[in-house]
Amino acid sequence: MWFDELGEVFDMFKGSFPLSFLFFIPIFIIISPVSPVNAAQEFAVYRMQQYDLQGSTFGCKNAIINMEARSIDSKMLTRRCAVAKLQDVTMPKYRDLMTQNAGALLVILPNNLTSLLPEEKQHLQSLEYELMQEQSTVPVYFALESEYLTDIYVDVQEGNSGDNAPTAWEALLSSASANGFQLVISGSQAEAMPDFEIANIQGRLSGYGIEEQLPTIVVVAHYDAKGVAPALSFGADSNASGMVMLLELARLFSKLYTNSRTHAKNPFKILEYNLVFLLSGGGKFNYQGSKRWIEDNFEAAEGNILNDVAFVLCLDSLGSSNNLNLHVSKPPREDGAGGQFFKHLGDVKESHFPEVKVGMVHKKINLGDEMLAWEHERFSIKRMLAFTLSHLDTHKSFDRSSITDQRKAVNPSVIARNTQLVAEALARQIYNLTSQGSFQMFTDTLSVEDSVVEAWLNYLAGNPRAAQVLKSDSEVVMTLEQAMGQYLKDVRKTLLKADKRDPEFIFYTGAEYQMNAYNVKPAVFDLFLALCIAGYLALTYLFAQKFHVIYYALKRSVISTSPKTKVN
Amino acid sequence: MTFFHFGNCVALAYVPYVIVYKCSGLAEYSAFWKCVQAGGAYLFTQLCKMLLLATFFPTTDAAVGSLDITGEFLKSTVDVIDLIGLHIVMSKFAGKGQLKFMIAGMGWATAELAVTRFIPLWMGARGVEFDWKYIQMSFDSNISLIHHISVAMLVWLYSRSDLQRTSLPIVLTLLGLACYRPLIVEILMQAVGLGSWMLLLAKAGFTSVVALISLQMYLSIPSQGTNSYY
Repeated sequence: MWFDELGEVFDMFKGSFPLSFLFFIPIFIIISPVSPVNAAQEFAVYRMQQYDLQGSTFGCKNAIINMEARSIDSKMLTRRCAVAKLQDVTMPKYRDLMTQNAGALLVILPNNLTSLLPEEKQHLQSLEYELMQEQSTVPVYFALESEYLTDIYVDVQEGNSGDNAPTAWEALLSSASANGFQLVISGSQAEAMPDFEIANIQGRLSGYGIEEQLPTIVVVAHYDAKGVAPALSFGADSNASGMVMLLELARLFSKLYTNSRTHAKNPFKILEYNLVFLLSGGGKFNYQGSKRWIEDNFEAAEGNILNDVAFVLCLDSLGSSNNLNLHVSKPPREDGAGGQFFKHLGDVKESHFPEVKVGMVHKKINLGDEMLAWEHERFSIKRMLAFTLSHLDTHKSFDRSSITDQRKAVNPSVIARNTQLVAEALARQIYNLTSQGSFQMFTDTLSVEDSVVEAWLNYLAGNPRAAQVLKSDSEVVMTLEQAMGQYLKDVRKTLLKADKRDPEFIFYTGAEYQMNAYNVKPAVFDLFLALCIAGYLALTYLFAQKFHVIYYALKRSVISTSPKTKVN
Repeated sequence: MTFFHFGNCVALAYVPYVIVYKCSGLAEYSAFWKCVQAGGAYLFTQLCKMLLLATFFPTTDAAVGSLDITGEFLKSTVDVIDLIGLHIVMSKFAGKGQLKFMIAGMGWATAELAVTRFIPLWMGARGVEFDWKYIQMSFDSNISLIHHISVAMLVWLYSRSDLQRTSLPIVLTLLGLACYRPLIVEILMQAVGLGSWMLLLAKAGFTSVVALISLQMYLSIPSQGTNSYY
């Protein structure tokens, strides 16, 4: 009977494929081993840089991981994710990970990167530098320290002791009691962005006179930042400070150039120079933005901005210390515009800011190097007089591309003072005030506003500004364009894309991911648990078998205490 | 965790039921269909309870984590329907005297196990994340087996006419305790802050005490003294 009916049922499935499909698919779905992800703990992780520049590949290739967490000191790391605190990670260990074919590396960074001790900071910066020198297949992630991450770290460290246990039995015990973690990053693999557009924002102030015949001063600052992890690159010193100075200079000079009242202050009633301000993109990638900008403007037949350039002033890292260095590729002639500007800088410093040390650093362009040292070299190559103003002594300083370069590392009052100094020097150049002694132009309503400087700095250094994350329509770029539009004329945003066939730079997606950590136990633990359960079940069985013993014992006690049953 | 872990949990949850079924003599009386009927009655009772709760008890907007004692108390009061359901099962389906409460309790507990425990285990114990709560859940199902059998025994005792008059208050008290067990557990969790393992232990102790007392009362009924199925 039963079997006949079953046979009929099976015949039904044989006859029609869709029916069996509909019938079995839900069953397969239920049986399938993929269980819904019930997120245990989720935290943000920041992936290391990945980019192609001038044909070479840098940074880590992979992004998606699903593997067990291990201490970086454990012996077996193949296909596992090493978890380490910053101080544990050294280059030899990293290379060891690479040779072992480790799955991934998760570096736990201290929460406050600006309060590191000097040696810690140096360690981090040199690590960043070394990591970014080459390509690696091991995905490297950075996470900011949190209570939960510290717990994982401690557990993983303890789990490590199992590997070093003296006897096999102890190793087994420790691995059964250990708390393991499965680290999972899901989402899409990092992909190249071939259509990535870098934006340059330019604006100008025209002098009085026949515009084409006036020489031009170009003020340039690149707006992107770079650190080992794009999503952690806030770049407060390099180059939020330069941008803030540029914006403040634009604000001050726009008042001078448009407000007729300022002519009363100007004894010569002339503005001998045009001013061009440029916020260039891709500065950390061999100054791609300014490179393209120069090319475009040289090619342009009409309205050539770069026709008669007096000098190009690049601003980079101006947010701390009392030094101001003018980096040049070729020492400017004393009587040329560059020499005059340097002299003005010195004069203003002498009369108003005696604590500042102004110097000149001369470094020839090395055309053999793949990377240019400073932004002004882009202009110097094209035979323009150009120099970079910075508080740094050398372009080799790690400070310019580090995640330690955050808001707290920069002092807004230093930026304001430097802005004042540069503005005065520029004004002397523009109005040709050679022997004005301690004359100060930017006072009262024209003075540098500390609050404006600080607000800009907070905004710019509060957003990660790696080139990869600053798309041409991102909020920061739009805000900068608006700000330039407020002060300057002819504000334009020009976009540049890498060449399709021979791209100079390729950026990749995937700067920030969510990592899930699942608490897992090793397989030995399951076996151990199975043994315990078997023991428990055996006890239960014995108890049920011998239940009558308890039963009769209880009964006897009941009968002896109850007089009624005795009668019965 | 792995499928193996799921297997562990299922074994821990279900095997004691099989052992009790085999060893208590139910298997010899081929009481399987009776147990299934009791399970059906369980499902029907739960449906009635849900309808009642949804109709007459408004949802309270108590904040998560805080304890809404009156709401919980009312909800536990609805659990009295469970007792009525058990009583109906024993008076209608289950046949022979002392097997009655075994069948009713067993069927009731098994139905509850199948309905409320299997899906959480299936979804949870196979997940990547390891958590002790699935093992605890399996232990808890063992405890609830004893709990349901003893409740069935108490209901049966209550319906007996030859129960000693002096035992009646005890039976009623124990039934009340069993009924309001979830509430008591909740209060314990809030007030004492028991950890999950300690809570499990407390539940086990509480249940076994109730079970022992009811067993003793059962044995003190004169007609049960002689013909035991053990």
